[in-house]
Amino acid sequence: MTRQELHAQRLLKEAEDRVLFNQTRRHFLKESAMGLGALAFGSLFGCKTEKTKQLSAAIDPANPLLPKSPPFPGKAKSVIFLHMAGAPSQFETFDFKPELSKLDGQDCPPSFLEGKQFAFITGVPKMLGPQAKFAQYGQSGAWVSESLPHLSTVVDEISFLKAVTTDQFNHAPAQLLLHTGSARLGRPSIGSWATYGLGTENQNLPGFVVLTSGGSFPDAGKSVWGSGFLPSVYQGVQCRSEGDPVLFINDPEGMSRDLRKASIDAINDANRQEYETYRDPEILSRISQYEMAYRMQITAPEVMNINDEPQYIHDMYGTKPGKESFANNVLLARKLVEKGVRFVQLFDWGWDAHGNAASNALNVGMLNKYRSVDKPVTALLLDLKQRGLLDETLVVWAGEFGRTPMMENRNGVQNPYKGRDHHTEAFTIWMAGGGIKRGVTYGETDEIGYTAVSGKVDAFDIQATILNQLGFNHEEFTFPFQGRPFRLTDVAGKVIHDIIA
Amino acid sequence: MLLSVTDFIGRFHPVVVHLPIGILLLAALFQLLSRRFSTVAPAIPLTLLFGALGAVLSCITGYMLSLSGDYDTILAGRHQWLGIATAVLAFVFYGIVRYKATIPKLADSMALASIGLITLTGHLGGSLTHGEDYLTVSLSSENTKAGLPPIPNIQEAVLYTDVVQPILKNRCYSCHGPSKQKGKLRLDEHQYILTGGEDGSAIKAGAADESELIKRLLLPLTNDEHMPPKEKPQLTENEVAVLKWWVDTGAEVSKKVKDLKQTESIKPVLAALESGESKETPKISDIPEAEVAPADENAIQAIRKAGIIVLPVSQDKAYLSASFVTAGAGADTLIKLLEPIRKQLIWLRLDDAKISDKTLGLVAGFPNLTRLYLTNTAISDAGLAQLSPLKQLQVLNLVNTKVTEQGLLALKGLQSLRSIYLFQTAVDKSKWASLQTAFPKTVLDSGGYQVPTFETDTVEVKLQ
Repeated sequence: MTRQELHAQRLLKEAEDRVLFNQTRRHFLKESAMGLGALAFGSLFGCKTEKTKQLSAAIDPANPLLPKSPPFPGKAKSVIFLHMAGAPSQFETFDFKPELSKLDGQDCPPSFLEGKQFAFITGVPKMLGPQAKFAQYGQSGAWVSESLPHLSTVVDEISFLKAVTTDQFNHAPAQLLLHTGSARLGRPSIGSWATYGLGTENQNLPGFVVLTSGGSFPDAGKSVWGSGFLPSVYQGVQCRSEGDPVLFINDPEGMSRDLRKASIDAINDANRQEYETYRDPEILSRISQYEMAYRMQITAPEVMNINDEPQYIHDMYGTKPGKESFANNVLLARKLVEKGVRFVQLFDWGWDAHGNAASNALNVGMLNKYRSVDKPVTALLLDLKQRGLLDETLVVWAGEFGRTPMMENRNGVQNPYKGRDHHTEAFTIWMAGGGIKRGVTYGETDEIGYTAVSGKVDAFDIQATILNQLGFNHEEFTFPFQGRPFRLTDVAGKVIHDIIA
Repeated sequence: MLLSVTDFIGRFHPVVVHLPIGILLLAALFQLLSRRFSTVAPAIPLTLLFGALGAVLSCITGYMLSLSGDYDTILAGRHQWLGIATAVLAFVFYGIVRYKATIPKLADSMALASIGLITLTGHLGGSLTHGEDYLTVSLSSENTKAGLPPIPNIQEAVLYTDVVQPILKNRCYSCHGPSKQKGKLRLDEHQYILTGGEDGSAIKAGAADESELIKRLLLPLTNDEHMPPKEKPQLTENEVAVLKWWVDTGAEVSKKVKDLKQTESIKPVLAALESGESKETPKISDIPEAEVAPADENAIQAIRKAGIIVLPVSQDKAYLSASFVTAGAGADTLIKLLEPIRKQLIWLRLDDAKISDKTLGLVAGFPNLTRLYLTNTAISDAGLAQLSPLKQLQVLNLVNTKVTEQGLLALKGLQSLRSIYLFQTAVDKSKWASLQTAFPKTVLDSGGYQVPTFETDTVEVKLQ
């Protein structure tokens, strides 16, 4: 062995020794004294806001849906969130822009295109004037298009937000952002947060019910009503408006109620033993879900049945029992809220007004969409009102983003029908009831409705406002996950006080 | 930003300065008393020495603090030289007492001089910290902490001088005014506001959302950047709104309120400032303002066991809500369980419960009820008449019951009633007008709303 080789060997050994030396416990403690000290210092003095309320401690693991008090008295007891999946056009519903009709058919100025991203528009599209006539209604003088003749009669109950913005121009992320506060998957939806914070008044029904219509799920799928990192018992329970409200809710033939009870008890006992061993709270969720399902077998078919509603109610909502429709879902939403369900989430698919087919053209398919929601939504507001429920039920009507003031030219070629592309910079949503001001229009867009100019709000502000109406400060309503408290609005969100009564 | 070491040490000045003040005053007192009580005389030199050293320490920390530049230079300068004079005087005093104890008159006058100097220096120091008018403000007639006095004829007022300046004077000048400029910011003149402080201009005319001044006001109280600091008196919502509006309309110096574009949201604020109300019209709450003792926990548990949901209306209130939504049959006997919480109970939901008119006799014994839901129950006029003791009742839901206008008139004396829901009741439609006159302050909702079916509602649009 040469001297050089010996030297190399010694260096190698030294290096190995050094690794070992670095790995001793004594070394760890010695070297990390400062770090450990800092950690201790941090937990003693820092990292706490003035009043960190650990809401997570309030969950009773054996009965996670037990009703709870909000931190401060909320005006709304329940929420009905009507989501027009696909995003309706603000230009044909509520945001009246006469200036835009003067530009109809002209080339879109480059200033509206430079540095902007669109889902489909490429090259230079043409401007597209409003495809509906508008008038002012009610004492508040709110602008509503002729496409919504029923809703225009109840504008004095509504607060319109005309300058809503988002940063997502594709359906799924925009829907996730609106409902979960993040455009990525994995966060709990607002209905889950609400049931986590408040439980549910009626233990025989789920606290968070989801109803879909329009023939398709929202693009973001079931994640928009998922519970994310919250215990799964808080996820939305999807019910059907056609056939059994929940699949297999009826006992099969030969299974008596007692036998069902006995089998559920046996399963729960086994689960409880499992819980004793592993202490996984999800097992408790499972147990309470079995118990709720058993109770729901009696209550749900009754509440979810609209056949027995009187004829004048069917006339009012325009409902047809036995058919899957938005109208039926709206009526169900009212019945559920009446029975103490905390959060009812409706998704109506088919609002994606591109104009690449007749079914999604502003002057064909969309007219049918307006008709399918106009009457039932109006009926919902009036029906809640006459039952004394509108005061304590917050109704939200929203799409996930807006539409462009330009006509869509997919891949640079004008679409065959009148349509608009996805638009993030301005759209209209509205809220009513649940302590929201009546007959208010908040926020403004520019003359052609391209961008929000005043009263700008985003998804976080809407979430903060909904939580506020339920009695939560969105900044203090958290759940500990991955070592830090998470909240629905993350680090953003401001309650829209201008629309709160 | 990390504090520099001098800055850090300087911040001990307000603490350190109390040492020489106390010690030197004690020494002066000993000196003046020494002829009568000779036992204190030997303590005077040592006390003076400590006091003098403390005074030097105060001078050093004070100088370091003055380097931060947060203070009015003239006032701080005077304070500084008087402080130094005090320290020098203390040493001279010490010298006289220590080495020339034979001249008691001289020592006595030194004692009086140091008392005078300490008082003067201390007063100036206090003025620097708390503002020059700190002492006299409680003597002057207007109570500046409560908010602005009413501004008569606000439309004719000059927005900046008559509205904005008084607000800033009230809430901001003590730290950002002539005597002190925290963060190098002065707000007492228009040009100072524009010049701004360490973080640049305080406002951006026409854009309140981008103006540091407005941003700081709007931050949550818990935020360190929030202004005024949370221990100081805060601006009212209206004051913030009007400042925001002033910036949004261009931060004009001489324009009158009537000459500026008034948004819908600023009009009520201006009206409130004119009438001198610091808050908007008081919101009607369905939760009594008076506090109540928490209900007995055992009683609550017993009620819950019976399937009735009882909850505080919010986590910070002892008032309770009760719901019979899952109570099942036997509600009319279960309601007796609520007796122990009669004082706390304010919201009671009996919708769909199997109750009778008799039950309402018990309900009438819950004196603080503000909301009562009797939807879909078998109650009638006879039961309703028993509810007249519920003076606090604000919302009464009678939807789908047999009550008539006769039963309702028995509740005429309930002044707090805001809404009564009467959909699907036996109220005679022809008596509606007289019923409304009997309840002038109450919204009576007869329901029965209809949404007509238009031809277009059912026709499907097809491509032409």
